[in-house]
Amino acid sequence: MIPLSWYLVLAAALFCIGLYGVLGRRNAVAILMGIELMLNAVNINLVAFWRYLTPALIAGQAFAIIVFAVAASEAAVGLALIISIYRQRSTVIAEEIDLMKW
Amino acid sequence: MTTDLLIWLIPLPPLLAFGAILLGGYRSNRLSTWLAVGAMVISWALGLFVFAQAVQTDHLGANPFTSSIPWLPLGTSVIEIGVLIDPLSAITLFFVVWTCLAIFVYSIGYHNSGKPRDAEDVPGLPPHAGGIEPLYARFFAFISLFAFGMLTLVVSDNLLLLFIGWEIMGLCSYLLIGFWFGRESARKAMVKAFITTRVGDVFMLLGIVALYTATGTLNFQEILRSPETLNRLAETPAILGLSLAGLIGLLLFAGTVGKSAQWPLHVWLPDAMEGPTPVSAMIHAATMVSAGIYLILRFFPLLTVGWQPGGPLTTTMAVIAVIGAFTALFASTIAVAQNDIKRVLAYSTISQLGYMVAAVGIGAFVAAAFHLVTHAFFKALLFLGSGSVIHGMEHGQAASSKSAAQAMPGQEGPAGAHEAHDHVDAQDMWNMGGLRRRMPWTFYTFLIGGLALAGFPIVTAGFWSKDEILSSAFGQGQPVVFVVLAAAALLTAFYTARQIGLTFLGKPRSAAAEHAHESGRVMLLPLVLLSLFSIAAGWAGIHHEFPLIGGAIPNFVEEFVGQALTEHPEALPFAFPPLLTSLVVSLGGLGLGFLVYRNLPRGATDPLARWLGPVHVLLRRKYYFDELYDFLFVRPAYWFAETFVYAWVDRKVIDGLLHGVGRASLRLGGWLRRAIDLPVVNGFGDLVGETTKAAGRTFRVIQSGRVQAYLAAGLLFVGLLLSFLLLVKP
Amino acid sequence: MPFLDAHLLTWILFTPALGAVVILLLPADRPRLLRWAAFGVSLVPLALSLYLWSAYQPGLPGYQFVERHDWYVNISSSYHVGVDGISVPLVLLTTLLTPLALLISWSIGERVRAYMALFLFLETGMLGVFLSLDLLLFFVFWEIGLVPMYFLINQWGSANRSYASFKFLIFTMAGSLGLLLAIQLIGLAVGSFDMVEITAIWPTFREPFVLAGLPIHLSVETVKAIAFWAFVIAFAIKVPVWPFHTWLPDAHTEAPTAGSMILAGVLLKLGAYGFLRLVLPLYPEQAQLYAGALAALAVLAIVLGAFGSWGQSDFKRLVAYSSVNHMGFVILGVAAAAKAYGTLSAGEAVTAVDGAVLQMFNHGLSAAGMFLLVGVIYDRTHTRDLSAFRGLFPLAPVYGGILLFTAMASLGLPGLNGFISEYMVVQGTWPVFTAYTAVAMIGLLITGAYIMKAVGSVLHGPLNEAWAHHKLEINRREVLAIAPLMVLMLSIGVWPIWILRVIEPTVLRLFG
Repeated sequence: MIPLSWYLVLAAALFCIGLYGVLGRRNAVAILMGIELMLNAVNINLVAFWRYLTPALIAGQAFAIIVFAVAASEAAVGLALIISIYRQRSTVIAEEIDLMKW
Repeated sequence: MTTDLLIWLIPLPPLLAFGAILLGGYRSNRLSTWLAVGAMVISWALGLFVFAQAVQTDHLGANPFTSSIPWLPLGTSVIEIGVLIDPLSAITLFFVVWTCLAIFVYSIGYHNSGKPRDAEDVPGLPPHAGGIEPLYARFFAFISLFAFGMLTLVVSDNLLLLFIGWEIMGLCSYLLIGFWFGRESARKAMVKAFITTRVGDVFMLLGIVALYTATGTLNFQEILRSPETLNRLAETPAILGLSLAGLIGLLLFAGTVGKSAQWPLHVWLPDAMEGPTPVSAMIHAATMVSAGIYLILRFFPLLTVGWQPGGPLTTTMAVIAVIGAFTALFASTIAVAQNDIKRVLAYSTISQLGYMVAAVGIGAFVAAAFHLVTHAFFKALLFLGSGSVIHGMEHGQAASSKSAAQAMPGQEGPAGAHEAHDHVDAQDMWNMGGLRRRMPWTFYTFLIGGLALAGFPIVTAGFWSKDEILSSAFGQGQPVVFVVLAAAALLTAFYTARQIGLTFLGKPRSAAAEHAHESGRVMLLPLVLLSLFSIAAGWAGIHHEFPLIGGAIPNFVEEFVGQALTEHPEALPFAFPPLLTSLVVSLGGLGLGFLVYRNLPRGATDPLARWLGPVHVLLRRKYYFDELYDFLFVRPAYWFAETFVYAWVDRKVIDGLLHGVGRASLRLGGWLRRAIDLPVVNGFGDLVGETTKAAGRTFRVIQSGRVQAYLAAGLLFVGLLLSFLLLVKP
Repeated sequence: MPFLDAHLLTWILFTPALGAVVILLLPADRPRLLRWAAFGVSLVPLALSLYLWSAYQPGLPGYQFVERHDWYVNISSSYHVGVDGISVPLVLLTTLLTPLALLISWSIGERVRAYMALFLFLETGMLGVFLSLDLLLFFVFWEIGLVPMYFLINQWGSANRSYASFKFLIFTMAGSLGLLLAIQLIGLAVGSFDMVEITAIWPTFREPFVLAGLPIHLSVETVKAIAFWAFVIAFAIKVPVWPFHTWLPDAHTEAPTAGSMILAGVLLKLGAYGFLRLVLPLYPEQAQLYAGALAALAVLAIVLGAFGSWGQSDFKRLVAYSSVNHMGFVILGVAAAAKAYGTLSAGEAVTAVDGAVLQMFNHGLSAAGMFLLVGVIYDRTHTRDLSAFRGLFPLAPVYGGILLFTAMASLGLPGLNGFISEYMVVQGTWPVFTAYTAVAMIGLLITGAYIMKAVGSVLHGPLNEAWAHHKLEINRREVLAIAPLMVLMLSIGVWPIWILRVIEPTVLRLFG
């Protein structure tokens, strides 16, 4: 059986890729995608821990499903906002969206 | 009892007439005439009835007609006002009602009643010629009020009511002197008359107040017929060595000085000639000036308390005698140099009043009262006569200018007509002359009046009364007063002759005089009436020891008027020196005057001016008293009022102080704001705000709004925290 | 009318204020309605005070028509009103002058509603001073009267009105300050603000002062003297006594005609009333001590007021200064009464105070009349410069006659009202302050001079052709407004007993 650490390493790698996307990219869509990656890395962790440590309980799976739901609604709202901003200002570059900056 | 009631009614008809004319009667001149004259006739009838009653009453002095009602509550006591008819008020009443009636009737003619109104005439100016006076009704209203004032004064039984009548007359004289108020000179004269007499009045008010304080009453009978009261007043010392009686007496006498135009308050009376002539007669004969003499006669017991007949005069009496005698001489010298027919009479009035005052001053009560009566008649006559002359002159002027105007078209008129066209002063005696032919009635009545004034012996009233004063001065041992009065009498006779000579004798000296014509019957009737009195009034007071005719007619004045005093004054024995003196001065003065002024031609100058030179100028300018008073009192008073009190004290000092306080407060406030409010209070508040702002400005850079930067910072801190927890802590 | 009798004074006092509120509810753009409404309202207190006059019984001692309710219970101040022989004539004067002043205000064209309402409020303020028997209430009304007057001058006055109204307000407030402190001092010391109680206790009050636990280290005499002067200065400013008089010519001159009438007619009386109602009864000893100083100031007011008046070239200012002169006689009478109080010459004190009260009433009539007449001529000529008139008698004979009549009343011509009161004051003062009285006669003389100057400049002399084609005659409404005053002037002058009958018994009880 594949040991738990492998899953954890995979999840950590995936999270770092997502973190890089969030911090390093200027495109708002890409940032959003980075967030999705980070959420999914967490999901991998959740499912892996459930399977290896508490297979009798349903909590691990439930958490993962909640995260799916949150990720999905986040993507929907986030993309809608980005589209709306794009229509207003013709850009999706995060730095240029500075309407409320001092 | 009924007589007492009637006395109350004597003054009322003129008052009612005044009210009725003012409240509607003025719309009709005829109605106004009837109201005023009718009211005066009622008063006249009542007055004569009361006089007749008084004469028939035995011992009227001790048992006068009186009646009074409470009027003014003063704390614990009440001042009563009422009426009193004693011998003094009875004879005063007698001449007042007669002269007033004569003047009322005369005024109808004088103001051209019944004539149409001249379109050129304006209210407030004398009518040009022949037209009815524009303010005809108002004249009768005022003169009615005047009569009311005088009658009230005469019948009053106390000083307060007397003062009320006194002041009402003051108002009326003001209004009537300024009756032709459209003339600037009239405006000045009316104010001058009012203010000058008011100087005396305020002293008199003090006298009233002092008298009430000292005695607790103002009733004549209670004060003057009570020897205890008089003696107590005489024994109480007041100020300046005067007794209280002396002080009160002098204060009251100051009222007389103002009202009867004695020196030094004589200046108003000549200017009072600005009024219509009936007013001059009213003021100078019937009412105003007589009121002043009436006052000192009334207070004779108070003025002379402590004096024994024949003994030395008290201070008060001496003051009165000196002022009276001085005024008599002083005014007669001025009269000699006057050219205005009315002004001569005005100064002669002052002079004659001086006689009466001097008579009171030397204790000659009966003589003063006698002269008051005779003077009222002959002076009223003279004024009305002069009014008739002026009236005739004005008509003559109008007629001559009319004839000149008719002569004008076509060719140049003669020089005389041209001259007549010029407006000549209708009151200047140098424009008259020869009027005896044109105005015979006026001439003969005026002559009677003039002779009475001059004291023409035996036939005129003035002789008897003036002689009485002279003989009193002689008999009481007052040689100085005697000589001064005799000199004044000489001058009086002289200027009277001058006046008659210039006015009536010789040839006319102007076109107006040539065309003058006699006044109407309604004006002549009063003249005739008054000339009868000017002769007959003297017969009532012939000394019983007078040579030849003495005792033939009972000495009514002596007996009747003397009763007014508690002790009937003893008649002085008859003496020849004063009689001779009065004969000499009267006849001498008249003769001299006629000699000089009998027949002066047109354009002549006054011979007296040649003989006297600068002295004549001094006399003509009335010793420069007007200028002197103007310099001494009027201008300083104006300066005091306008500059000192208003501009300096009120505006500069008091308001300056206030504005100073205001400015100082403003400055203090400004300083407080600048020194405390702004730096401390405001500064602290500002500091808090500014600091917060600066802090915000400083730290706002980290608030970049970039989520990625925040996340990176968060990552960094999480990293640091983890490193700390994992590496340092264990 | 038991209900009316029980609350008569309250009705008199508050009907004007109620009327003012009603007026404020009326439409602002109907000046005719507003004028008549205000005039109608002001007739109600007049009718009530006429009833008060007839129902007042001079023979009874003490205050009548008394009404008392709790007000500030915590500091023992109550709503306490009542009248005696001194206040009844003044109440009548106030309620009489207000309708007449409103009647003469027809020429006010702008903001009529506010004007009328303020005037009625003013009436309540003035009446309150005369009616209240509680010191605090007295002070409240004293101050209330100030506000409407300030606005009347400030809003409806002539050119220099803002200076004048400011001066008026500041001057009076400066006096009120000391008055308020002194009232509080008395109130705390006695433990009540009720005048009846205070009058009984305060004059003999000898305990050391303890205020809020802090003992004041001053003798009772000193404290009383200070309080006395606080009262005196407050009232002296209002009267006004020389040298506190300079607000008066400015305020009177700048105020609208009706305002001047009320100022001279009633507001000045508040000060003199204060002297009689408070200063003399509360401080008999101090008053006696300082009577000489007061008399000297009064004489200065009489003499310098007369000279000041004579020195004017502005008709209205001349009349204004005459108030200083006339009110000087009131204070002279008060000073004489203060000096004579409790001595052998108390009879003189009664005469002097009788004269002073009557002089207050008389001055109310004649000064109001004079201001009315100045207003009438000003309405037509728009000038007050005496040298600009000259010779107007033929153009306005009725006006001239009325002016002469009123001027003579003001001058003190015997037969009219002014003489009676001036004579009484002089008669009462002469035995007490002989020299002062003698000096005051200079003022009387100059009174003649300035009246002659005014009358002579307006009516007499050659006609100033500039006015020849103007219509200057007084109209019927104005005659109606001054006629009651003239009737009163004449009736007091001819038969003074009818009014002295009311004044005298009270004065006799207070000072006899």
